[in-house]
Amino acid sequence: MATTQQSIFASYDKDPKFYDEIFDEKGNVKKVYQTLFDLYSGHSSQDFAKLNDKAKASFFNQGITFQVYTDQEAKEKIFPFDLFPRIIDQKEWDTIERGVLQRSKALNHFIWDIYHDKKIIKQGIVPLDLITSSANYLHQMIGVDPPGGIYNHISGTDLIKHSDGKYYVLEDNIRCPSGVSYVICNRTALKRALFGVFNHYNAHTVTDYAQNLLEIMESVKPRGVDEPNCVVITPGVYNSAYYEHSYLAKSMGVELVEGRDLFVENDFVYMQTIKGPERVDVIYRRIDDAFLDPLEFRPDSALGVPGLFSAYKKGNVCLVNAPGTGFADDKAVYTYMPEIIKYYLGEEPILNNVHTYHCSRPDELKYVLENVDKLVIKPVDEAGGYGISIGNRLTQEEIEKVKKTIQASPRKYIAQPIMSLSVHATYIEESESFESRHVDLRTFCLQGADKDFVLKGGLTRVALKKGNLIVNSSQGGGSKDTWVLKK
Amino acid sequence: MEYTIKYKAVNTYESTVDEAFWQFLLRPEENKTQHVRISKFTNSLNTGIETSTNTFGFPICRVHPKKPFDTISFEASYIMSKEVINPFSALDSVANPEHYALIKSLNFKIDYERFLSITPLTQLEKTQLPVKFSEERSIFDNLTELNEWVYKTFTFKTSVTDVKTTPVQFLEKGAGVCQDFTHLFLAIARLNNIPARYTSGYLHQGNGFQGDSQMHAWAECYIPEKGWLGFDPANNLIALENHIKVAHGQDYGDCAPIKGIIYSNSAANKTSYTVEVNARAESDPDVFSENQLFEPLPFKQQLAFQSQWQNQQYQQQQQLRQQLDNNENTAL
Amino acid sequence: MLARVANNLFWMGRYIERAEHVARYLNVNYFSSLDAPNEKSQSRDHVLHSLLFMANGPVEEGYELTEKNAFYDIGLNPEESFSVLNCIKYARENANGARDLISTELYESINKFYHFVLNYDADFFVSKGLFDFTTQIAESTSIIRAKIRGTLLHDEVYAIIMLGVNIERATQIVRIIQAKYYDALKAQGGYDKKFSKSYEWTTLLKCIEAYDMMRRHYKKTPTSLSTLEFLILNPECPRSVMNSLVQVKNHINVLNEDKYPEKDSAAFLIGKTHAEYRYKTVDTIEGNIEHFIEEIQDTLIDIANKIEKEYFKY
Repeated sequence: MATTQQSIFASYDKDPKFYDEIFDEKGNVKKVYQTLFDLYSGHSSQDFAKLNDKAKASFFNQGITFQVYTDQEAKEKIFPFDLFPRIIDQKEWDTIERGVLQRSKALNHFIWDIYHDKKIIKQGIVPLDLITSSANYLHQMIGVDPPGGIYNHISGTDLIKHSDGKYYVLEDNIRCPSGVSYVICNRTALKRALFGVFNHYNAHTVTDYAQNLLEIMESVKPRGVDEPNCVVITPGVYNSAYYEHSYLAKSMGVELVEGRDLFVENDFVYMQTIKGPERVDVIYRRIDDAFLDPLEFRPDSALGVPGLFSAYKKGNVCLVNAPGTGFADDKAVYTYMPEIIKYYLGEEPILNNVHTYHCSRPDELKYVLENVDKLVIKPVDEAGGYGISIGNRLTQEEIEKVKKTIQASPRKYIAQPIMSLSVHATYIEESESFESRHVDLRTFCLQGADKDFVLKGGLTRVALKKGNLIVNSSQGGGSKDTWVLKK
Repeated sequence: MEYTIKYKAVNTYESTVDEAFWQFLLRPEENKTQHVRISKFTNSLNTGIETSTNTFGFPICRVHPKKPFDTISFEASYIMSKEVINPFSALDSVANPEHYALIKSLNFKIDYERFLSITPLTQLEKTQLPVKFSEERSIFDNLTELNEWVYKTFTFKTSVTDVKTTPVQFLEKGAGVCQDFTHLFLAIARLNNIPARYTSGYLHQGNGFQGDSQMHAWAECYIPEKGWLGFDPANNLIALENHIKVAHGQDYGDCAPIKGIIYSNSAANKTSYTVEVNARAESDPDVFSENQLFEPLPFKQQLAFQSQWQNQQYQQQQQLRQQLDNNENTAL
Repeated sequence: MLARVANNLFWMGRYIERAEHVARYLNVNYFSSLDAPNEKSQSRDHVLHSLLFMANGPVEEGYELTEKNAFYDIGLNPEESFSVLNCIKYARENANGARDLISTELYESINKFYHFVLNYDADFFVSKGLFDFTTQIAESTSIIRAKIRGTLLHDEVYAIIMLGVNIERATQIVRIIQAKYYDALKAQGGYDKKFSKSYEWTTLLKCIEAYDMMRRHYKKTPTSLSTLEFLILNPECPRSVMNSLVQVKNHINVLNEDKYPEKDSAAFLIGKTHAEYRYKTVDTIEGNIEHFIEEIQDTLIDIANKIEKEYFKY
């Protein structure tokens, strides 16, 4: 036993600079992981190599893949799945759940206010040009009342655990947060691969997400509709998240439509079925604002539906999430989140914000320019981890380049102290053993007219490259099953 | 005053169009000085007309033919009355510091944010401002001077600009059409904290004003205590009874009289538009005269908004479909 | 159900069925020619022509007729839209478009099938793998067919897939009959003196996996007359045109709720064709096989077009 234990954790690097999710300061396994650790130590490295191959093949055969485009061809790749689950105990989870729900609610109030009275700006809490200079602020949404008063039905809040052992929010995603299908697939895959370990833990299910999503969608049905017809709209089979779109439609039992399946007549939306047109009431849209309606937004959009926006404005169809939420998950707005929460809810924020320097403020810009090496520089409106510079990894030459870029358009950049993402045991194919890798956590929160729901679990994303801090799948990240324990 | 307005558009396509959508923003606005008595909107395919409202609440018509076609024409006719406005009611040459204090206040900026924001079509850097406003003069006088400056500095000329031309490009070219005059005017007014909106409409051109045979554009600015007032920089005019307003918005994109989405294999088409505005006696019978001839004039600028339903994905689908078809033909 | 998705399901069914017939024809026709009793039937050119004709129609002039070329083009050439590889690729693309409606099991088997074909070594295939490849295709398609039957609710989704499968089956059977009819014509003379007793009829039955059924039914050596009767008119033979028509008729009734379908509708045409064939006798066909083949091909195309127009327009 002792020898196998050594072999599969032999190359595990215990670095005191980072918070380790599994081992405490003395190098002992934490209580909540002890049972799992003992069970895993009973397997040989060959066992894990085999299980890992099986799990990969299962993802591949099920077509749970995304396309990677190289020069010549499109290749199908799986989103790497890790065999070592992350465990979050009830108490810790309770804080996360309340915290993400609080943020999601505050953001909804904030979006409503901005598209109506703009009180928070009049009070001088948030600057006007922070909103109006955002490309995602849609003047078309001014004065529009979405069904149920909900804008961000679906929010995905990203959290990390810093070296101080506390959770920090990295960002809130309230446009089209993706990844929830992986949460469910990861659970299925882990159950298949290591069914024995589940008996020893009492983890919450994650499969209730689809049912809750459907209930949330039904709760924001248009006026006068008893049994709303809900659909999911996708850009099509070539979209990298198509698997997720089809998974969600299928598990809710609703149609997966494309723009060309829908049409608008007299401000009502219909889909073309084999038995003629059928009215559509609630649309979970996985296409961006700009592509929703070529008559209202980008005229070259082939993905959207002409006239959809006016049907939405009339209240004859509900879009989930509402158009124009994007300004509120902007990285510059993020820095005002503590104030936004206090202003609308009268509460103290439950989850910590990472301290942020705004390059648009002259004194903070000065600090940033002098301390690039100690900061992470982020563009305000890029998604997917692109355009991020991590100060302590840059050469002197690169630092000068970054400085110039910031000075050219300060409004576009913010800077944050380099947060050290916690580390977790992760199966590494090359060494056939578990090594420590950085992880974060994406949570999924739903908000409807009369109910809300936080998925008890989440997507623990892991940076597979040693020392890497960027966990996005497009940048070579993988993911872990995440267990939230019952009491 | 009474007017008869006729708008006609003829679209001809090289290859058959399977599906298309159009949206029209043509009806004169109902407001304090305007009232439409009779309106008619028809199309050559006799397709049903849907009505809706746009983002700013203006009524729009939509046409969505269900059958393939090669040619379609649209015709809108209105008989409407317009009050003669006393031009002196607008004048205000007393510089009022309170007005300047007001337009600089946060609440004002928030309330009028929609018409103070810079859009891509009204973008100009503060450093590029060719005309400076002076607080020594009234807001009205500043705007009148701006109106005159734009009129005198630029040449009215068709086919040198299009609907995507920005104020910066217009400044370089030195010539353009009413949209360009208006966008530049809006850009400068907004940078001086004066809420300004793009206005589309018809110009009664009995006196040979610029903007013939097409829909016209001008700017409306908000002046404290006075309200919204129209400035026509293409003619150096204040908008009065000759300016029949249809709609307003942030820029041309909100007011395009026709927007179309065409699903066809070929983009090639020919489009012509005509607009006729005639003053009429109130005692004239309420019929639209049919014997007037319309000389179709090409209006290329508007074509740009008739976008193709052909992005990459659609093409891929088409290719796939073609492959299927070919395959079927050869396999049977 | 969405009209576009219905279209995807229909074509998914067609392509799966097409892949199977092409692969099986390649297998049976080639291997039975190796020891055929007469020279013509054994001739390489004769059999390669037949293979290419069945997959894609008459062979173009200037085509370099070698075994390797023919095998590659029919089996794995990504440039040829008729190749088995592309049939499976299109089947999977169509399955992708309807992914939320079909079972996970069905999707997984189509997906695995696609990756199997995609990764099959082309060199191995043309030199040694003909039997292995074509047999695997046949096995995979029967697994897929079992998943269609066993893991889908027998509702509209099922009906549309089966419409595609059966229309394609009828089409492919007619096509194989056509190919073998020409083979039999060419093989006349020599040992195979009489057209009606040609060796090619046995091969034809084997190509459609109907030889054993036929022997049990007639208990005699197949002739042109009995073979055509069996493959076209016998409703009990699961690989006959008649049987496919019966199934098409049953499945269209799931979609069509009218008791008396309109004169120009797909359901009407299917019903009419079915009734016509029910009372057809083989002697009226045998006199003019070519005409019959053309006629049934046109009818099948017409039916498919009507179905697409009525149900799949979006």
